[in-house]
Amino acid sequence: MDATFIFHEALLSATPLLLAGTGELVAERAGVIDIGIEGLMIVGAIAAYSAAVLTGSVIWAVPAAAVAGMALAALFAVVTVFARADQIVAGAALNLLAFGVSTTAWRMLQGALPTHPAPAMYEEAPVPLLAHVPFFGAVLFQQYGLFYATVVLTGVVDVLLRFTRLGLVVRALGDAPEAADAMGIRVRTGRLLAVLFAGACAGAAGAYLSTMRNHSFQLNMTAGQGFLVLALVIFARWSLPGLAAAAVLFGALEALQSALASLPGATVAIPHGLFDMLPYAATLAALTLLSRAGAGPLELGKPWPAQR
Amino acid sequence: MLEMRHIFKSFGRLRVLEDVTLAFAPGRVHGLLGENGAGKSTLMNILFGLMAADAGEIVVDGRAVRIGSPRAAQALGIGMVHQHFKLVPTLSTAENLALAMRERPGAVGLRAEAWLERLGWKLPLQVAAGKLSVGQQQRAEILKALLTTDRTAQGKSGRTLILDEPTAVLTPQEVGELFAAVRSLKAGGDSGGAAVIFITHKLAEVESVCDEVAILRRGRVVHAGAREGISVGGIAAKMIGEAAAAGPVEAAVRGRAKGPVKLALRGVRAGMLRGVSLEVRAGEILGIAGVDGNGQSDLLAALVGDLRLRAGKVEIGGRDCTRMGIRERLKEMAVIPDDRHRLAAALPLSVTENLLLKDYRRRPFSRAGVVLPGAWRRAAREAVRAFDVRTEGVSIPLARLSGGNQQKVVLARELGLAGKAVVVAANPTRGLDIAATAFVLRQLRAARDRAGGGAAIVLIHADLDELLGIADRIAVLYNGTLTAAPAKTKEAIAPLMLGMGG
Amino acid sequence: MRLLRRVFLPLVPPAIAVAVSIGLLALGLALAKYPALSLLREWFVAAVGDRFNIEVAIKNSCPLLLTGLAAGVAFRAGVLNIGAEGQSILGAIAAAAVATRLLPGLHPSGAAISTALAAAVVAGALFAGIAAGLELLRGVPVVLSTILLNFVALQLLGVLLEGPLKTHLTQAVQSDPMPGAFWLPLIGGSLVVHAGVLIAAAAAVLAWGMQSRTTLGFELLVTGLNPAAARYAGIPTASRQGLVLLFSGGFAGLSGAIQTLGVGGHVLTPTPESYGYTGIAVALLGRLHPVGIAAAALFFALLDQGAATLETSATPLPHETADILKGLITLALLTSASLLANRRVIASQTAMEGTTKAGSAAEGRAV
Repeated sequence: MDATFIFHEALLSATPLLLAGTGELVAERAGVIDIGIEGLMIVGAIAAYSAAVLTGSVIWAVPAAAVAGMALAALFAVVTVFARADQIVAGAALNLLAFGVSTTAWRMLQGALPTHPAPAMYEEAPVPLLAHVPFFGAVLFQQYGLFYATVVLTGVVDVLLRFTRLGLVVRALGDAPEAADAMGIRVRTGRLLAVLFAGACAGAAGAYLSTMRNHSFQLNMTAGQGFLVLALVIFARWSLPGLAAAAVLFGALEALQSALASLPGATVAIPHGLFDMLPYAATLAALTLLSRAGAGPLELGKPWPAQR
Repeated sequence: MLEMRHIFKSFGRLRVLEDVTLAFAPGRVHGLLGENGAGKSTLMNILFGLMAADAGEIVVDGRAVRIGSPRAAQALGIGMVHQHFKLVPTLSTAENLALAMRERPGAVGLRAEAWLERLGWKLPLQVAAGKLSVGQQQRAEILKALLTTDRTAQGKSGRTLILDEPTAVLTPQEVGELFAAVRSLKAGGDSGGAAVIFITHKLAEVESVCDEVAILRRGRVVHAGAREGISVGGIAAKMIGEAAAAGPVEAAVRGRAKGPVKLALRGVRAGMLRGVSLEVRAGEILGIAGVDGNGQSDLLAALVGDLRLRAGKVEIGGRDCTRMGIRERLKEMAVIPDDRHRLAAALPLSVTENLLLKDYRRRPFSRAGVVLPGAWRRAAREAVRAFDVRTEGVSIPLARLSGGNQQKVVLARELGLAGKAVVVAANPTRGLDIAATAFVLRQLRAARDRAGGGAAIVLIHADLDELLGIADRIAVLYNGTLTAAPAKTKEAIAPLMLGMGG
Repeated sequence: MRLLRRVFLPLVPPAIAVAVSIGLLALGLALAKYPALSLLREWFVAAVGDRFNIEVAIKNSCPLLLTGLAAGVAFRAGVLNIGAEGQSILGAIAAAAVATRLLPGLHPSGAAISTALAAAVVAGALFAGIAAGLELLRGVPVVLSTILLNFVALQLLGVLLEGPLKTHLTQAVQSDPMPGAFWLPLIGGSLVVHAGVLIAAAAAVLAWGMQSRTTLGFELLVTGLNPAAARYAGIPTASRQGLVLLFSGGFAGLSGAIQTLGVGGHVLTPTPESYGYTGIAVALLGRLHPVGIAAAALFFALLDQGAATLETSATPLPHETADILKGLITLALLTSASLLANRRVIASQTAMEGTTKAGSAAEGRAV
């Protein structure tokens, strides 16, 4: 086991969590919780892979995934933001729909595969010069392109949330939509845009899975990562630096787990299902140890305008 | 000059405004009066662009204008301070102002300071709005209304400021300061006087601050004219209709024989409460005066058992029940919380279910955990008759009843079904019209004077006038401390409400 | 007239939702150049025109009805249990453990089956109890803990099937086949419909009775609609919500057991067909009412069964198309129910204008 390898792997695993998490965090800051992230990611994954196969070029993968994620997110927004349905339940339904869509699309795509062989997928994109810095180069600068984009995006969004009027608007949407409305802010439009942003991020995170981290689509390849994103956002207390830390920590757990599992004799001693359980159990433990008082948006998950 | 002409508005089949025509001249304070549901708020929401009228027009300086949004209203110099403050609690006042003015955070400080200076107010601009006192929040709101109309206020039509029941949440001293600010805005100065629309249903305030009076009743203008043109009695008669005004709210001070102590707090520290002690005897009403936010909701919660005590004891009927849960205390105690929609009832449930919300577990309403609906319906019909609840039936959702009738359902449950030895009520007349208010006060008196041992009643109430009329003794809750009033007069109590004397 | 209003009015939103969703799916298929109408007809005919398919659907609707009840009783009390998936897996594990390891020789069949079912109910309830305990003691939101516990349950199943529950008969990662005494007997002369139908029906009746005829049901209803008012009425809401979570987990556990003891082959695999997530949709489609949930479960099972024929049609479609339709129906239902509710509320709101104002003034102070 080599530290460079483990840290590199940790970031590989952290990237989709951070990307989808950034979107979800913005949506939640604006007052909308979308537990359909899992579904958005899997649809993004199949959309990316389909786009690559059908156009013969992988460059369409990420845009297609983002658009697919936004399309489903738009549906979610219609149901929750405009029709004011319960967000949790709508998110669960969105997952159901998304899995139907991804499976159906995958079956249809398999019919097309003989005539459209899959093109080359993304490879890791080392940053010139920096990639050769000892240790850090290998860990930080030999990642997939979307990793760098995610880091930049997270940083930019963090600055926007903290220091700009746009950030004030987002926080007002989540903390006091009533007040925001009175100030002439269009609450529904604002929440719609936040949800669409989350959809694009989750879709792109799905593309990362099917065209970068893995070079093909597999059914259920998100394997609960979308749900994990939800837990991480809470764990990070709706702070983007916190989210980045949580995603990396979680990625490290996962990297450590696969490293341990691949040790000779490990599987004999400990069934590998226990390792697979580790991330979820650890997240649950973290939530348990976290103190009660949440720093969440005050109106998170509540429809606006309020009923009654 | 701002005019609203022939405004109509309906919600479904319900006519809320009918042919309302009013003019608001600059340099005057216009009192807009009416009972709850008379249409005042709807009218102002239309003027501020929050709602669209079904018919009618709004005219500024002789030109018809369309006000489709608050922003459009602000562009015409119309600012509104809502009864329910619209500030983002997690953002500072400066950030709230920036948000409302569509400016960068940090770009509004100087202009805000200038206004504060002119009005002679102090307000910390960098503190989160949620951490400000109620009075300070109102100042932030007024500041917001002024700043968002600043640009257009210089024009010929001037500024119109709508204040929706601004005094409901203020201490007497804060009310005085607000009136001073209103007069200063009316006088204007550099930018010409503002037209101030002052929504209220307190007649004394009309006398002291308004120049014009407009009265709405059931969606129609029943009076509009100069303040001097109508007497206070005339206003009351117009508001509630000539016939209903005949029954005045009585103000009897009573000395009476008292029963044993039924409810006592001994040195209670909990939430905001800092060592509160009180005793209430059977057959008396102890009034707790004071402005909300001084520990009122914590006092209610401590009595009911919804708040853990740091120190002290709660005794009901002579028994220490500090460690009892809510359910056990309710055996002896009726509770009428002030937040009816949140604490006192479940609006989607039927009238019957709300009436049985606490008694469903005892016979004859259930047996061995199985409910007996027939007994429920019988009891509900009986209660609806006894408390004169106006409803189409006992199985319709409570939400379909008017506020006054909802409160009657709560009263019927708490005071009717089983006469409890102790009654705790908080602002039981809030939001009710005059007739319903009188009914509630009558029922509380009836519970106190009940034959065979009256109830011991704690009445936490922000309305000092009503309290003076009904309470046997009054204590004032200020900043978590309870002080007995030396006399049952306004002069003796008002200083205590401000934390002076005592 | 009143009966008409009470029975038919609640049926309006589901009817609209189903119609709109089928329309949307047809539109999607047509856009993808599939013969939408003939596919839908084929689907419909396969679903309700074939006795065998109907019987299979009835059989499959049982676990779905139970997870639907699991979601339904919890949601009605304001507890967002998203964990029926994991709880039903625990039920399956418990049933399999009893049947293949703990008491494999149990006789007669009645005793064997009831023991396995009881174990499943307890396992499901206890697993849900973890979420209840975490909420009660540490304030962990049930929504989140139940979601996470779903994954824990799935991994736990894998561990057990590679360990103590693994069969010695083959190399495959699965359990031993259930002993014959544990098989749910076929009923009504059918080749597929088994006694699980009776169990599921009994559970629905139990849930209905509990909700509408007991003081506990009333307490849960009030808690779900307005937890603060429930507390002020003396209802111990936290413990009641914990209790309903146990109930909910019990129903889900039963669902897993019926799957394990009732499916052909009678072995437990690492990827059992579990209906936890679909149960949420079923509960909503059935408007949280046990009878509605039963109808919705049957409807979904028919959809699934009919969709199988689509695979072999002239223009083949994967049977997962049914999942798309289910998702669409749920979303459409949420939308239509919510919109209808809003209209009613607006009508009643104007009557209360004054009081709402006063209520919001009280909130203003808390800001």
